[in-house]
Amino acid sequence: MSVFLQQLINGLSIGSIYALMAVGYSLVYSILNFSNFAHGGVIMLGAYFGLYALNLLSLPFMGALVVAAFAAGLVAVGLEKIAYSPLRKRNAPSLYFIISAMGASIFLENFVVATIGPTFKTYPEIFSTTPITFGAISVSRIDILMFVIAAISLAILVFIIEKTKVGLAIRACSYSARGSNLMGVNVNRIIFVIFLLGGMLAGVAGMLFGMKYTVYPQIGVITNKSFIAAVFGGLGSLPGAVVGSILLGLIETISAGYIASQYRDLIAFSLLIIVLVVKPSGLMGKITEDKA
Amino acid sequence: MFSWFYIEGILILVGINVMIVLGLSLLTGFTGLFSFGHAGFMAIGAYVAVTCTMQLDVPFYLAILIGGIAAMIASLFIGYFTLNLKGDYFCIATLGFGEAIRLILDNMTIVGGARGLPGIPLDTTLVNVIVIDIIGIMAMAYLIKSRHGRNMIAIREEELASQAIGINVFRYKMESLAISALYAGIGGALWAHYVGFIQPLMFQLTKSTEMTIMVIFGGLGSITGSVVGAFILTFLPELLRELANWRLVFYGAAVIAIMIARPQGMLGGIEITDMFRWIKRTVTGENRRAKAAAEADKEAKTELPGEGGGES
Amino acid sequence: MTDVLKLEQVTKRFGGLTAVGDVTFTIKEGEIFGLIGPNGAGKTTIFNLITAVYTLTEGKISFYGEQIAEADPYGPGFVNGIKRRFAWKPLKPFQIAEKGITRTFQNIRLFKKLTTFENVLTACHRSANYSLFESILPRRIPIINYVLPWSKTLWREETELRKKTEELLKLMGLWDYRDMVAANLPYGLQRKLEIARALALDPKLLLLDEPAAGMNPEETLALMDLIRRIRDDFGLTVLIIEHHMDLIMGLCDKIFVLNFGKALAEGTPAQVQNNPKVVEAYLGSAEEEAKDGEEAGEGDAADA
Repeated sequence: MSVFLQQLINGLSIGSIYALMAVGYSLVYSILNFSNFAHGGVIMLGAYFGLYALNLLSLPFMGALVVAAFAAGLVAVGLEKIAYSPLRKRNAPSLYFIISAMGASIFLENFVVATIGPTFKTYPEIFSTTPITFGAISVSRIDILMFVIAAISLAILVFIIEKTKVGLAIRACSYSARGSNLMGVNVNRIIFVIFLLGGMLAGVAGMLFGMKYTVYPQIGVITNKSFIAAVFGGLGSLPGAVVGSILLGLIETISAGYIASQYRDLIAFSLLIIVLVVKPSGLMGKITEDKA
Repeated sequence: MFSWFYIEGILILVGINVMIVLGLSLLTGFTGLFSFGHAGFMAIGAYVAVTCTMQLDVPFYLAILIGGIAAMIASLFIGYFTLNLKGDYFCIATLGFGEAIRLILDNMTIVGGARGLPGIPLDTTLVNVIVIDIIGIMAMAYLIKSRHGRNMIAIREEELASQAIGINVFRYKMESLAISALYAGIGGALWAHYVGFIQPLMFQLTKSTEMTIMVIFGGLGSITGSVVGAFILTFLPELLRELANWRLVFYGAAVIAIMIARPQGMLGGIEITDMFRWIKRTVTGENRRAKAAAEADKEAKTELPGEGGGES
Repeated sequence: MTDVLKLEQVTKRFGGLTAVGDVTFTIKEGEIFGLIGPNGAGKTTIFNLITAVYTLTEGKISFYGEQIAEADPYGPGFVNGIKRRFAWKPLKPFQIAEKGITRTFQNIRLFKKLTTFENVLTACHRSANYSLFESILPRRIPIINYVLPWSKTLWREETELRKKTEELLKLMGLWDYRDMVAANLPYGLQRKLEIARALALDPKLLLLDEPAAGMNPEETLALMDLIRRIRDDFGLTVLIIEHHMDLIMGLCDKIFVLNFGKALAEGTPAQVQNNPKVVEAYLGSAEEEAKDGEEAGEGDAADA
């Protein structure tokens, strides 16, 4: 039982990081309807920003987190301006967006390789590594931190989307960007906000992820997991992305704990296929009927 | 630096990539489906063919074919479950599939697991790559000009309208995926017999992405473009070797630049046969006449009232 | 005369919204049947139901006595979705086309990057029968044709397809535009090309969704003649949605009027024209409708 609880907690913590990534990805998907494969690059940069904010600017942890979030947010917005907005103006099919995103992802990854180098870097030890024990269960401090920060970030996001005027506009755009535009919503501004929010969440996720493991240019590959989590939950649905991510985290840690850790990813991918076969639009995705 | 041995090596790589890119071109350029699982098909082709040549002493050409067919069978399986999915769901599902193949191979100790499989006979030569490429290109060109190819193109253009004219969308997507996987499997098998060593790491997602970028760069919906794309993008990194790490930075930037400046790729929808025809027509002066006729037609068209803009 | 298409208590709901409610009508063989109604009345929804783009909420549809669509007895939903597979497997749109119902679309859906010829050639695919494997074999290479005799079937069938395409294009007056890319055709010709493409499958029932939208009066008149000629030459039955009242009144044998998804009236053009309900709900504004029909399109109830 205690092993199970242990896995549960680990799963929640890693799942919450997936959620941060998946929500950013889903946000973009809900409005622009394409898979932003450059999201991994932004997450990777977030990890580096956090690292340098701690090391070079010697900021406190929270300060570094904010810096990482904003810097990553700006990168995401910049990417949108350079790589996507020309396509958007031309009403290009989503295929082109995806390819542009892939190019951006290659660019970001190799830019870091070329400038900083391909070596692994580790975060300085901010929090003590001795785990907190509750009876038989021991939880590392970083896991708790990850969960708490992810929960707070998501809560802020939910607040923005549900309670503010910008959030209302975002929701409207996700129904119909064109319709919202006709109703006087400045879609360009909304897309700016979307990328900023998604990028900020990516920055937070990158920094937390880098703290738990290490930082290296290919760290963005981890976003594949968040794509899968988002598809689990239903593309474009934010609650779906969160639920899917938490589920994925739990499935991963539990299968690693009970079956074998090398089959962890395999099980996750197989489950993805099964979910899609049974429910092609994910757990919470909306079913759309083509209009002729 | 540019010894013949070196150039021959690159040309073989070009030939191998042409094969894979052709297959992917059918799927992406002609059918409009996006796959991130082609590295998985390559891996299946490579491992099956290598098992055939190394363990079962199957002749090289037959082993290559078996590798391709194995990839095709895998594609039928994966296609059955995923081809009904819409848009990006399919894309992510293939991504999951490609990674799953790699992870399975990672854990299969019988084929070397994550450490890989060395000592593969180096049977791939420039000559047999060229022969296989020519067969591949011809078969693809014929396919595109047949009703099967036309139905795939129709699906790319307007899925709903294709259904309305009785095209079984699922079936033709499946055909496209299967042929595409066959090419990828053959390409993977050739690659394994060229490098002499395979390991699952060689078939990561980045490999799929690389192939997709070649297709896009060469031009969607063009066989000539795919060949040219594979040629240039295999050679270019070798020429840019001096730039070392900055190479891929430029590569990424170039992909974005292409999407912004010329999204149809270098030769989107244009075939080399079209160019020949164009040259022939220019020589005979037919182009000039056609242009004049088109202009006259345009004038006539502007006089037509009530043609209005289309609603979309 | 036999019944070609029969709609019985057909209902389609999108969530709480009833796009089509309890519609019943029968189309006899050889008829040109008009389906009219104000914007958003659910006309295109009926087309989508017939061609299986949408599934029925209630009722059933039969074609030459054979049931082609039935309401899903279990309704949508995950658990029932599995049960449904055993109960009634709805036909897919392509199967409807195979049975002999083809259609055009209100917002033209041509294969835009292909030429006029290729558009129709693609649609002729059901007249050929060669396999995928045959299609990758070299053609017109005597040695191969001699060794593999079936490689000739492809060439023979392809030639037939081309001949058929040529005939169709000539009939529709599109032959001169055969090498033009569909997207560059004038609007009226695009509509004609869509009809040609639908005819390529040798349908028994042709569904036309606002074929005259965006045409001037002369073109509309020519289109009326064309539709009549097609009906006679191909032995077709035609179901037509249109806002141009002169076209509908001059062309149709029978008219069905929809309003807010419900049946309003049915009968010959004269009966419908004199029906006070129709006059009040629809024909009173018919001239306006005809005018803005082309730019407004049908704000189908499904949009809401």
